[in-house]
Amino acid sequence: MAKRKSLIKIKPKKYKTGETVKVSFMVMHPMDTGTGKNKKTGKVIPAHYINEVKFFFDGKPFTTMKTWETLSSNPVFSINFKVPGKGELKVVYTDNQGEMNEKSKKIKPKG
Amino acid sequence: MQRRSFLRGVGIAAAASAVVTPNVVMAAAPKGPNNLGFDAAVKAITGGKKAVASSKVKLKAPEIAENGAVVPITVTVDSPMTDSDYIKAIHVLASKNGNVRCADVMLTPASGAAMFAARIKLGTSQDVVAIVETSKGEFLTASQNVKVTIGGCG
Repeated sequence: MAKRKSLIKIKPKKYKTGETVKVSFMVMHPMDTGTGKNKKTGKVIPAHYINEVKFFFDGKPFTTMKTWETLSSNPVFSINFKVPGKGELKVVYTDNQGEMNEKSKKIKPKG
Repeated sequence: MQRRSFLRGVGIAAAASAVVTPNVVMAAAPKGPNNLGFDAAVKAITGGKKAVASSKVKLKAPEIAENGAVVPITVTVDSPMTDSDYIKAIHVLASKNGNVRCADVMLTPASGAAMFAARIKLGTSQDVVAIVETSKGEFLTASQNVKVTIGGCG
């Protein structure tokens, strides 16, 4: 399993319980379409893209995504989330070659 | 005489190769694994129902994209997002890509507001379409034309 760099960003940085925040999940991924060629060897690069992204809060999924290779490489997925209180936000993503990774971030509302 | 015929032969060969090569290259370019046409994709999403253009759905995309490989899009839907009335799904399609589907986002009331933003690839100038499914089973759409200077697929 290749280790991938990923990041969860929450905007605004300071938020309260009940507030709707913007959650951005970024991951370094090639998102190959399966039609491009390696310029040096001329061989076709096989398709390699993220096909599922799931957002969990304390183990409960609140948004799931099915994605295809038509997203840009190193994709950013932004969604909204209403903060219900303290907890852990977790993102699990899988790609078409069977890689499965996850990233989590603690949610600490102020007030 | 010999020289002349030789040159003519070379000329014809060069012309032939010039004409043939692009075709061969195009033919050799493999198709993507999940190619799907626009109409088929819409039918798969709506199940034959008609999607209504609505001002509730707002699709933000650049009118001219210099680089087709990275086109930022944002879909926002005006909805209260309560348990009885919320947005179930946002589908993003690009009408002329090999595989028109970009992302299907399934939302729940816990989202607070219906929004999805990502960066997509566009092969040529085309329409970007968002199809939104509400909890009442309605389908709403919005679309925007994006002019692409350099294609971004492949």
